[in-house]
Amino acid sequence: MKQTMAPLDLMLRPPIADRGGRSAALVLRGMKTVQFGRRIVLPCLLAATLLCAWEFGTRLAHLSPLIIVPPSAVLSVLMASYAILMQQAVPTVVETLIGFALAAAIGIMLGTALVLSRRVRQALYPHVLTFQLIPKIALAPLFIVWFGVGPTSRLSLAVFMAFFPVVISTLTGLLSADRNAMRMARAMMASPWQSFISVRVPFALPHIFAGLKVAVTMAMIGVIVGEFVTAQAGLGYIIMMASSAGDTALVLAAIILLCGFGLLLYGAVALAEWLIDRRMGVSITSSEF
Amino acid sequence: MTTGPAIRHKPSSETAYTLGLPIGLGVAVLIGWQLAVRLAGISPVILPAPSDIVQSFGGVGGELLRQGWVTGFEALFAFVLSCLFGVAAALFLGFSTVAFETFYPGLVVFQIIPKIALAPLFTFWLGIAATSRLSYALFISFFPVTLATMTGLKRADTNALRLCHALGASRLQAFVAVQIPYALPYFFSGAKVAATMSIIGIVIGEFISANAGLGYYILRAQSYSETAHMFAAILVLCGIGLLLYIIPVQAERWVRRWWWD
Repeated sequence: MKQTMAPLDLMLRPPIADRGGRSAALVLRGMKTVQFGRRIVLPCLLAATLLCAWEFGTRLAHLSPLIIVPPSAVLSVLMASYAILMQQAVPTVVETLIGFALAAAIGIMLGTALVLSRRVRQALYPHVLTFQLIPKIALAPLFIVWFGVGPTSRLSLAVFMAFFPVVISTLTGLLSADRNAMRMARAMMASPWQSFISVRVPFALPHIFAGLKVAVTMAMIGVIVGEFVTAQAGLGYIIMMASSAGDTALVLAAIILLCGFGLLLYGAVALAEWLIDRRMGVSITSSEF
Repeated sequence: MTTGPAIRHKPSSETAYTLGLPIGLGVAVLIGWQLAVRLAGISPVILPAPSDIVQSFGGVGGELLRQGWVTGFEALFAFVLSCLFGVAAALFLGFSTVAFETFYPGLVVFQIIPKIALAPLFTFWLGIAATSRLSYALFISFFPVTLATMTGLKRADTNALRLCHALGASRLQAFVAVQIPYALPYFFSGAKVAATMSIIGIVIGEFISANAGLGYYILRAQSYSETAHMFAAILVLCGIGLLLYIIPVQAERWVRRWWWD
């Protein structure tokens, strides 16, 4: 059941056919073009307005550069220290990627194991669920006690934070396979392995990717918190160092870079989902999210 | 959760497994942990035995409760605020198409970016008092509520809305009769995320601008190498987190009963 996200106005308007003499299809196409245009133009307009307000507000109100600096100053710092910032971004991004890959691999494997064995599921699932709910960030200092201030502690914190959403979404996804499709596979003499691959996995994909999208953000959060606490290298370290030095422009430049990388990584997972969904997804469930 | 087509066991023995296996596993892990630490002689700075952690509750239990009260109260406050603000924003965006089209992409971007990077800014702007922790917690927990509630408002059954329109219902009536019931489950799923996020926000704030609370206590215990105290504080924090999570779960149960009966 595909639900379209039409705005309420459009849904409540009278049926298209009784509008003037123009054909319904033409009116509909016109409306869609206008709607599409507005969806692009309005957010850009908002962003431009906010940026202008920020720029001129800080300039006209003569706010202390310790509190806030105009976007032009942030941009110039971003350009001036671009090389250093990029150099510091490398450990952050690489650690996020490794943490995410480990969390995804272990999470999908454990999620699959929980589906394959009912007893394992009964024994482990409540614990996994509890770990999913607790504020795992509180354990960050513990990882430093165990693994020191090097990349190991940040990496393990990232894996620890990103791993639980993947397990739970893999489990939910694999269990969400359509019962009739499973019965059909059995009736067609599919082996358990065949029905797992050709029925359970396609149904699970949207769930697994929803979990992976959460995980990629979580992995980055884990690395950044690790950098906040251990303060060795990386963009999180730059942010902490610059904020204690009162260099607001550098703080904002590092934050913008970090957010950019966060969006990029999220976009990569979304792209992978799109590619895999086109190859082997189930069209019925992909809209259920 | 079970999808097996045939139930092979009697229901009573299944219940025993469902309850017994996780508890048994928990107990086994605790015993193994205790034995491993004692037999291998692991330093209590690296890994205290469960008995050490229980003991440290006896020693610093009062302190933990005091600090936990600060953290828990701030997290609860941030959670309630984020629900109020989140719903208000969702209603605003749900009612106006122009507002929706203007703000929605920005909301999605803010939902995706690692907002943790912005935590030091809040300390910067609002100082190290509770205000900065509260506003940061509100900032990170409000987006899930808004996005979830708005998705619920938009997903309301188009046919039901058309029916309301055809029956001459006003926009407000259609909203109350159709859109709110559709949005409620979405709102609660957003509120559950917000409950977890609000305590994370407070703890991060306490890590950065430490002067009170469990996050501060954990860092202090770490710097004194009192790992058992750290574990005890983390346990209290997890307890608070679970308590906070129960609020939206229980509220959803009440609302469901009240709404659909």
